[in-house]
Amino acid sequence: MTAIEASGLTKRYGSVDALEGIHIRVERGEFFGLFGPNGAGKTTMLRILTGQLKPTEGGARVLGIDVVLEPLRVKSVIGIVPEVESPPSYLTAYEYLYFVGQVRKIGGLEDRIARWFEFFDLDDARSSLCKDLSKGTRQKLMLAAAFLHEPALVFLDEPFINLDPIYQRKLREFLQEYVGGGGTVFMATHLLDIAEKLCDRVAVIRDGAIIATGTVDEIRGPESNLEAAFLRLVGA
Amino acid sequence: MLRLMLREEFRVHTSYSGRLAFLAFPIIITVFSLAIAVTSERLFTYTPFSDAILLLHASVFLYGLSVGAFGFLGRQYLERTNGTRNYLVAMPGILPMRLRKTFLGMYVRDAIFYIALLLAPATIGLILSIPLTHFRITSIGVLFGTGLLSFLLGMSLSFFVSTVYMRNQMAFVICVGGITALFAAAGTTRTIPLSWILPGLAAHEHLSPFPIDLGAAAQPIVSGLGVIVALVAGAVFLVPEQFEPRATAVREELPRLVARLKRLQGYAPLLSKEFVDLQRSGTYAKMFFSFVTPLLFLSFTAWFVRYGLQVPVGFNTVFYAGMVGFFGVILYNWLNNVDATDYLATLPVSVPQVIRAKLISFLLLTTWVGVGFVGIIAWLNSDTRLLWLAIPIVLVTSVYIVVVTAYLTGLRTNSFLFDPGVLARFSVMSMLPDFGLTILSFTIDRDLRFASTGIAVVLAILAATTYMLLKGIDAKWRGTEFGE
Repeated sequence: MTAIEASGLTKRYGSVDALEGIHIRVERGEFFGLFGPNGAGKTTMLRILTGQLKPTEGGARVLGIDVVLEPLRVKSVIGIVPEVESPPSYLTAYEYLYFVGQVRKIGGLEDRIARWFEFFDLDDARSSLCKDLSKGTRQKLMLAAAFLHEPALVFLDEPFINLDPIYQRKLREFLQEYVGGGGTVFMATHLLDIAEKLCDRVAVIRDGAIIATGTVDEIRGPESNLEAAFLRLVGA
Repeated sequence: MLRLMLREEFRVHTSYSGRLAFLAFPIIITVFSLAIAVTSERLFTYTPFSDAILLLHASVFLYGLSVGAFGFLGRQYLERTNGTRNYLVAMPGILPMRLRKTFLGMYVRDAIFYIALLLAPATIGLILSIPLTHFRITSIGVLFGTGLLSFLLGMSLSFFVSTVYMRNQMAFVICVGGITALFAAAGTTRTIPLSWILPGLAAHEHLSPFPIDLGAAAQPIVSGLGVIVALVAGAVFLVPEQFEPRATAVREELPRLVARLKRLQGYAPLLSKEFVDLQRSGTYAKMFFSFVTPLLFLSFTAWFVRYGLQVPVGFNTVFYAGMVGFFGVILYNWLNNVDATDYLATLPVSVPQVIRAKLISFLLLTTWVGVGFVGIIAWLNSDTRLLWLAIPIVLVTSVYIVVVTAYLTGLRTNSFLFDPGVLARFSVMSMLPDFGLTILSFTIDRDLRFASTGIAVVLAILAATTYMLLKGIDAKWRGTEFGE
């Protein structure tokens, strides 16, 4: 079963081509990684696939739903952790998750919020306004919000950034469990050592175009690790 | 740094409306000023020149007051409630710079920016009118120079008072109370002349085109400049170098509000969040003052025209009702300035849904303020006989103007109103009905049936337009993104 299918995905900002004819396919239950230098088009691609941005040309289906025609339906079935951790400034940590639960019409909300508060040890932040939280705590909150409705597919843009090593490991284990249970992860990241441990397949994007795709072993090729292979592929 | 800050400000504005559209704004101001100058001869037959000058200085001062509150804005910048944007003013957090210097930079930047955007183009319009009006260039120069003094005084006062707020809220209340009392004494009771507190006006009264007395003009200019420098220095001194966000624990209120608003179904969470945002960000107070200030100014102007200038215009309750309704745009603008909306892009909500939530919160929160004001003004003027007509006018025009604003500007009201295309459409859609209602309000005492029928027709047209625009919001904003 296909989780994500994009064909000819192109995005132009004036004369700048942010994405050029991207074709990509991710199966359900896959942990898919997207790597690329800064400004390569990772976030643009992620925003298009999650219905946040319209492509200039081409299209994509996520869990069988057209992202251009039905962006709200796409957002209702997936989870998103954006590049910038930006929960609403004037809600408390608890209220933000409550708000997300209400918008998504989630049943058994209190239990789910309690579970994520426990998972990320957010009790101390419960009554603090989001604008006063540390970056790491805000990132935990965005992760909790993305998984609150137990989606079948999550899009994560640098989910490990700002987390301390303890929570990086905890999140890594959770994501492995999540994929093991049939969930699908599409993750854009620069942390290649983490990606190497987690991803089933990866794609490398440069200047808005996919330049390589395959399993971690295929991409690594003769190199000793994914980082060396990545540097070779992007010509650094 | 100043050059970079100016460039930053220019790019912020052009990012909303495009470079060409933004640059057209001062041209529109020039044309507008030229038009007023050309028709000024007729204006001066009704309004003595000295009164026109007084109104002009008061307006420019109030304008300066409205753009100088950097103390409030600075905290927002530093606490990053502007989404993914960051500004030069926040750089002292990571660079060896002083916050005081960047705040002073904001003051100088905005002084230059708004002079270039408004005061200078308005002056150019007057200069261009010389072949037709035969205004003297020296008089225009004096008007610009003294007007600048009034503008900078307003900006400096606002800058100072907003930095007092950053230090101590009680001191802020005392400051605002003192300043309000001073202006009330000059504006309404006339215990002291307005020229005592507006040195630009005092200087103007001794320069061209009035009989020139350079000595008498120099004194308010020097004292005015002294007050401006003192206020700016005081404001800069009060900017705290350790600008730490206030960490506050608050009671959870969202679930209670969502439960209370559950009849609004899908809008309950969005609406509840709006209310919580407004309360915790202190926007309720800002909205209240930004609504009440123009209302007080309007009351003062009407009073001044009737009693000060002895112009026999019947400013009745219906006139106020029309005006009050049209101030709703200010409140809708505030609703869009509380917080960034980037995070909503990750949730299954659309821009039109959020716009509609803001419109509902406007209706629930502010309609009573307009109705209350009209009730009070009717009672003060012993003119309650027309309340039956005035209240529907406030309600219909309030909803109309807010829906027009929402339709034209979406969630970026403050920025889109700088787009000349949007501004032109907004001006036509707001001024035409306002003008019609004003004229009809003046005819009430002569022919009530004619006036009330005319008003009913205008209100019916406004209601129909409101309905169509409400329907159109979905199509116009469906494809747009949250955030920047």
